[in-house]
Amino acid sequence: MRLGQHAFGDDEALMMAIVNRTPDSFFDKGATWAENAAFARVAEVVAQGAEIVDIGGIKAAPGAEISAAEEKDRVVDFVARVRETYPDLVISVDTWRAEVGAAVCAAGADVLNDAWGGADPELVDVAAQYDAAIVCTHTGGVTPRTRPYRIEYDDVVASAIADTVAYAERALAAGVARESIVIDPAHDFGKNTFHSLEVTRRLEEMVATGWPVLVSLSNKDFVGETLGLEVGERLLGTLAATSVCALAGARIYRVHQVVETRQTVDMVWSIAGRRPPLRAIRGLQ
Amino acid sequence: MIALVPGVPALLPAYASLQDPVADLRAACLAAVSGLGPRVRVLASGPSGARVGASLAAEVGALVVEEAETGLLVVGNGSAMRTEKAPGHFDPRAEAFDAALRSSFAGIDAALAAELWADTACLAALPSLAEAEVTYDDAPFGVQYWVATWSAP
Repeated sequence: MRLGQHAFGDDEALMMAIVNRTPDSFFDKGATWAENAAFARVAEVVAQGAEIVDIGGIKAAPGAEISAAEEKDRVVDFVARVRETYPDLVISVDTWRAEVGAAVCAAGADVLNDAWGGADPELVDVAAQYDAAIVCTHTGGVTPRTRPYRIEYDDVVASAIADTVAYAERALAAGVARESIVIDPAHDFGKNTFHSLEVTRRLEEMVATGWPVLVSLSNKDFVGETLGLEVGERLLGTLAATSVCALAGARIYRVHQVVETRQTVDMVWSIAGRRPPLRAIRGLQ
Repeated sequence: MIALVPGVPALLPAYASLQDPVADLRAACLAAVSGLGPRVRVLASGPSGARVGASLAAEVGALVVEEAETGLLVVGNGSAMRTEKAPGHFDPRAEAFDAALRSSFAGIDAALAAELWADTACLAALPSLAEAEVTYDDAPFGVQYWVATWSAP
């Protein structure tokens, strides 16, 4: 897998830390809205060992419309600042707009994380032009920044596979490098809680497509509804879902809590036999 | 040429960690075994001794043979009861037992060796450590290890 200039082995699991340049995202509620606060968040997650930061300028949920110009104001200069300070860090930008994608790639972004499943058909061309990676998500065809409402699937996993693989092939045809295409079932996007649980349970089917799989589980509503917990109380449920996805072989984890997720994934990776223990001597002296 | 190494399973590739807990011991073992020439006969008694001996020989590119050897690899170690955290817990007799081995491998008390979880059955074949080049002499996990080489039997 290659994310911009950064190459990773097939046995590596990567932490993608969420960095919001928004005043209203659901988990941090604007804590990193100020540029310096967001920059401090980047420094924190880098120190925690995150390989990737995912910078977003628009919250996923419905709300005040943010123009492309406003979105660029929020993220482009910030990407440039992060790029300059952290040359080895993978910079992803959470956007569905090709215009924004081009601007952030010019500023040094490595990954375009299209959480809205190809709503802007030209985003793949931007990724190809800049040799950036692209994350192909499944949303069931919903419009960006809308909530799922009475969406039904014959088979949600089959739909997720069909749509993300089709998107991946579209990216490939547009000229994006094969090793720079990632698929994401997109928990909660175009899905009710039952759908997201099923996608989690059957994640190995997505892994079996051969495309590297990204999962974005962190503190989401499917965890909250399953356990009856508010935002801020969902870490354990998130980590349980993370374990299941790690056992299936998900490669990238988009997270709020880097340290806890890393521990969880490392543990599961070792259970799966993909990572040796850090230092085992008990019974082996 | 003769070498002595301990039968430490952590030396086996199947039990490799990201951070080697026995890096110094491993380096000493490989250096000792690499001096045994291309055909190594392994003399081992403990549960993992033969595996460890064969693995070390393989790592230095030597064949394990039953006869016509160019070098003899003896696998064994002292007690496993040197500290509270030792595999066999602390036994106050362990330190003196290991000190006696350090002086001589002759006349080992097999019953006491078993009580102290020492892997000594093959050590009686060896000359004393005083005649050896000893490159490792420590009990890092409460188990007494020696790595030693003798240039002539």
